[in-house]
Amino acid sequence: MRKLGKNSLLAFGDKYRIYILFALVFAFMSLFAPRFFNVFNITSILKVISMNACVAIGFTVVMICGQLDLSIGTVITFAGVLALGLKPALGYAGSIAVAVVAGGLVGVLNGLLVAKAKINSFIVTLGTMTVLQGAIYQFSGGNSISVSTPDAFVISDFLGKSLLPLLTPRILISLVLVLAMEAYLRRTRSGRNFYLVGGNRNTAWLAGIPTDKYTVAAFVLSGVGAAIGGVLSVLESTAATLKLGENSLMYVISATIIGGTAMSGGKGGVLRSVVAIFTLEMLYTGVILFGLGNEVKIFIAGLILAYVVLYEAYATYKHENDLGRRPELMKELEARRMAKEKA
Amino acid sequence: MKRAAILAVALALVALVAMPGFSQTAAQKANLAASLKVDTSVLKSADNQLLLAPSTDNRKVPTRPADPSALPETDPLHWYDMEWAGWNVTPTNLPKSPADGAIGKKIIFIVHGSHPWTTACTSGAKKVADAYKMSFKVLDPNWVKDVQDQMIDQAINEKPDMILLIPLDAKGAVQQARKINQAGIPLHMFNTLPDAAALNYSLGWTGPDDFGQFRLLAKAWADQMRKQNPGAKTLGVAYVQHAPGGSPYFARSFGPISELATYAPEVKTLEKASPTPATFDANTTMQLVSDWLTKYGKDLKGICASDDSAQSLGIFQALEKAGRTDVVVVAAGNSKQGMDLVKEGKLFGITYQTAEGDGALAVKYAADWFNGKAMPLRQNLAQHIITKADVDKFYPPQW
Repeated sequence: MRKLGKNSLLAFGDKYRIYILFALVFAFMSLFAPRFFNVFNITSILKVISMNACVAIGFTVVMICGQLDLSIGTVITFAGVLALGLKPALGYAGSIAVAVVAGGLVGVLNGLLVAKAKINSFIVTLGTMTVLQGAIYQFSGGNSISVSTPDAFVISDFLGKSLLPLLTPRILISLVLVLAMEAYLRRTRSGRNFYLVGGNRNTAWLAGIPTDKYTVAAFVLSGVGAAIGGVLSVLESTAATLKLGENSLMYVISATIIGGTAMSGGKGGVLRSVVAIFTLEMLYTGVILFGLGNEVKIFIAGLILAYVVLYEAYATYKHENDLGRRPELMKELEARRMAKEKA
Repeated sequence: MKRAAILAVALALVALVAMPGFSQTAAQKANLAASLKVDTSVLKSADNQLLLAPSTDNRKVPTRPADPSALPETDPLHWYDMEWAGWNVTPTNLPKSPADGAIGKKIIFIVHGSHPWTTACTSGAKKVADAYKMSFKVLDPNWVKDVQDQMIDQAINEKPDMILLIPLDAKGAVQQARKINQAGIPLHMFNTLPDAAALNYSLGWTGPDDFGQFRLLAKAWADQMRKQNPGAKTLGVAYVQHAPGGSPYFARSFGPISELATYAPEVKTLEKASPTPATFDANTTMQLVSDWLTKYGKDLKGICASDDSAQSLGIFQALEKAGRTDVVVVAAGNSKQGMDLVKEGKLFGITYQTAEGDGALAVKYAADWFNGKAMPLRQNLAQHIITKADVDKFYPPQW
């Protein structure tokens, strides 16, 4: 049997760090946090993360492509407000369709400005975020939107009702979307192309991959994912507040990076991001269950963010350092030089 | 003989089974008797006012119009479902009082977010909870409704005797209340008014009558503006609003607007806006008010703020920059900054909105319900407008 060296262990730890962290946090909370380990509580956590899980699907793809989407929070709110605000006029089917399509269109706009106009994604999505905030206030008149009709409660109850232990339809929908996207990214050629585009855009283009199309597609996925998250959330709560997606941006960015997706692109995975979201939510729930104050939660969130920033800086440094230490490349260059000299 | 023995054993068994029930009832009765003896009327808040002052509001509840939203926003009845929420509800599946005494009950107090007001409110609530030796747990979602939803789940999971909730969003409160009701846990809502439909699932609601207070404040405000501008045909005013969504957003701007439409029709609303991105930030408010002062100049005669601390400080920074001392400013109170501004003669008036009393009244409502008392659907805090004439009575401030 091959003996695992220190480096192999470190590599293993780095590769599966989010799963190890998840297991540690889960075990700690289950052992020490009062009333943590029960079906009701875990279902509650899963319900809470289901919105951000949908958002993380597309957001992770955008980051794999080496881009950033700051508009996800406002897309969540925008879609939620549209889904309930247009319900009286269009019915649920119409309003949900409009909300999801609107999310996709925001993605198209972001993607085209980034891919074709070559504007930095940070600037583009910051702009879209601001424009959407104005649109939301304009559409809602500054008020939350709610639906208190019997059909709204029927849908809400259905989405929140456990079909199987731990699984409500809302959780199930999010889970299916996450697994489908994970499979698509890992198992299909077009899915893997997102990694190539993010890893090295020029090489990907030279390899015949339409990089612009993939960039636009990533933003569309992000817009649609955020819209679905927002719609599912408001359908269950029967109300769309104007702050619905406010906290999602930092939450999803932190989770995606903790999950192992590199901000520089080319690396990461949807499932990892969602496991990171689950881990963060367990930590936050633990704070509540231990009876600690909100200030402790803010402190923990700050620590996590600091870790994320430091880790990203370290990963970038390591990546750049490793670029100059590629023994196989050096050997190949040396061999070529020798061959040239012989010739 | 054998039959008699069997009968004796059976009787003994019946007695054994019945005894715990009897003794429990006796314990409950004793607990109820002890709970009823608890006197909370002597408790005082940090400002030396009675913690549980009775309401002085004696207005009659008007009849609900067929469609309040069809009426103009300047009509007080347009706001009927908010202002009079709780009076015309059809309680749904509400649990009955166990009438076994408040002492020892476990209550979970879910607030809206971290703020000095919330600290004072929680402190008042705890004074009453301590008087009844209740187990008292506070959950703070820090102004995020999704987190409040999650905390409601956590609270349900703990199976308390009652959940006391400040709804973060009036409309979102409907499903929150429904969920707690479906879990079979008694719910009491307080402080911010939820949508009327939410009160179908709540034992009741307690808190400040924000609309009523602001109607009272509006009259005093208009009188002062008239006094400072005798004979003026138009008095332009602006409203610095609360965070959108909650009942204060509506009550603290549309309350005065609809009241003054008849009481002082010469008062014209020039602007109303919630400072963004930070609703309760002095700099953001200063910027907003500076823009108004530039736009309307001397036509702006009065400002009504939703908050007497950060917002009011921002308003006076803007007024000082513009060299204006003629603008009559009123606000929702009553923080230390607000009371200091009243004392200095800058703020004309603030509402007496006891934060400690708000929390205390909610817990007292819960205690009375556990004690088996018939509770009203809605209880308001006492109304009062603090001006320079009586501000000293309210020192030291609660927050």
